[in-house]
Amino acid sequence: MQDYLPILLQVVVAVVFAVSTLVISVVLGKAARRNAMKDSAYECGMLPMGEAQPRFSVKFYLVAMLFILFDIEVVFMYPWAVVYRDFLVEHGSSIFWSMLGFVAVLTVGYVYAVFKGALDWSK
Amino acid sequence: MPAPLAPLTLEIVVLLLGIVLLGFESFSKGGDRGWMARWSVAILSVVFAWSFFTTGDTGVDPSHAFYCADPLALFFKRIALLTTIIVMVISLEFRPVLEKFIPGIQPGSGTGEFFALPVFTCAGLMFMASAVDFLLIFVALELVTISFYVLVAYMRRQNASLEAGVKYLILGALSTGFLVYGITWIFGLTGETNLARITQVLPSLLAEGGRLHGSESALLFALMLLLIALGFKVAAAPLQFWVPDVYQGAPTPVTAFLSVGSKAAGFIVLARVLQTVVFLPSIAPKVLSVLGLLAVLTLLYGNLAALPQDNLKRMLAYSSIGHAGYLLVAFASIDPAAGNLYRTQTAIGFYLFGYLLMTLLSFLVMTVVSRHSRGDDIVHFNGLSKRSPFLAFGMLIAMLSLAGIPFTAGFYGKLLVFSTAIARQNFLLVSVGIITVAAGFYFYLKVVSAMYWKEPTEDQPVTASGLTKFTVAALCTAIFYFGIFPQSLLSMLPSDKAAPVAVSPAPHK
Repeated sequence: MQDYLPILLQVVVAVVFAVSTLVISVVLGKAARRNAMKDSAYECGMLPMGEAQPRFSVKFYLVAMLFILFDIEVVFMYPWAVVYRDFLVEHGSSIFWSMLGFVAVLTVGYVYAVFKGALDWSK
Repeated sequence: MPAPLAPLTLEIVVLLLGIVLLGFESFSKGGDRGWMARWSVAILSVVFAWSFFTTGDTGVDPSHAFYCADPLALFFKRIALLTTIIVMVISLEFRPVLEKFIPGIQPGSGTGEFFALPVFTCAGLMFMASAVDFLLIFVALELVTISFYVLVAYMRRQNASLEAGVKYLILGALSTGFLVYGITWIFGLTGETNLARITQVLPSLLAEGGRLHGSESALLFALMLLLIALGFKVAAAPLQFWVPDVYQGAPTPVTAFLSVGSKAAGFIVLARVLQTVVFLPSIAPKVLSVLGLLAVLTLLYGNLAALPQDNLKRMLAYSSIGHAGYLLVAFASIDPAAGNLYRTQTAIGFYLFGYLLMTLLSFLVMTVVSRHSRGDDIVHFNGLSKRSPFLAFGMLIAMLSLAGIPFTAGFYGKLLVFSTAIARQNFLLVSVGIITVAAGFYFYLKVVSAMYWKEPTEDQPVTASGLTKFTVAALCTAIFYFGIFPQSLLSMLPSDKAAPVAVSPAPHK
């Protein structure tokens, strides 16, 4: 049980710090007092009032999807880079060509996206 | 004779074709895209012929392989290729409707992907046929499903197509979730994703002293999750509720593709997954009883709900559920003592091939007729025999084969399926099957009666392109040929030489 004492202390410090800063700011500062604006839900900078289902442009989804695609591609390259040297010594250059093939397929996808105007925001 | 080719070249050629088509599409600005479909038909036909010259040997030890090329895999690859070729022919007939619902700057702009995506789907189906590792199964399944998400919602100015797209996307994603969860459970229990190695380690894990001894429920839970996911794909009741709406809303060629390609691939994955567990004495009876229950529910739901349908596309959707039921009968009748699944594999292989011929034939005729009559209700087929005797005859053959009239491929497929059930003395399944076949006669022949005994509402003749006419003729011939000479197809399927899949001579003579 002795081992958990630092964690308990940490919890106590965290709670005391959080509560005390909140209390002090309410007591000393005017900005911390409640008002109607402050009580409304926080929506990442969007207006919290309005239609329940506003329509977003489909471009947002398109850009998000393309971002995820090419993001995952880079994530896939990390483990490849880690095993690259060992694999090259043991099994030859197939690891290089397979990644090149993977990137070539992705490049076709990228060219397709560019020529279809998926990255052209004003269109 | 040239040296046999590595089987993987088939998939590579198909994928390259898809990539080249997408490349062309991105550099051109609209206009007629029919050439894409015609080139795909030509190249995929070459690949189809090519598949007869490949070797089944991948040169990899099965316990390390992701990919196998046994006769079953090659057979299902041919099913995938043939389906895609005929779907392309249907798409060519469907083009005017498609262009109406995708208004672009120029006529035909934005239709290129409609001909490129099925090629990718085909590659995914071919990989699924060969997948012997859960990882490849998953990736191939996603390749198929994601291209279908796009294709189903392709007619973006039509509400029905969008509704179908959303439903298919949400339920497809849900079923994928079940699949991945099931795979993680299997991996957690056995530490393997390769199906051959799972088969090897499971008996020792379940035996006295093994890690899973006395707690089969974890394995059964994993299998249940996998069964739910595959049940979605093959449209087995009670996981069939997406089928009617999605099939009706999707563009007709896509519906045809979904109902044949997606189903065939789902069933071969089911066969491969079941092979790992069905010979375990503590697991098999439970799994088989669940499969039997699914088969009965699917048969009854699909065939009975098809009875009151007025829309041919929706009726074919219910009929596709019904046919999944017949295929599940073959799975529920697996003999755990046999040591292999050859009997079931042969039955589903033949059945699915016959199903491919007759379903694609009916969708092809339906596309042509509904383009002229502006609708795909059964009423629109009234008096088709006067407007186009040839197409009416094609539809007649398709409907008779779907119903299961002797001397058609549909009949022999049903015979094979029921013979597996009779061999296991599973008379409940056989009797439910025969009742539902009787129901099938009613709703399939409803179309025939509309074509031949009702007066046409329009008298303008229905015309079709030469390629379509050739395809209709070829499909009709194939339905009779494989119905009368089934041996030519059975010889391609795995068979147990010691105990041949000898069906007693056809009783209906």
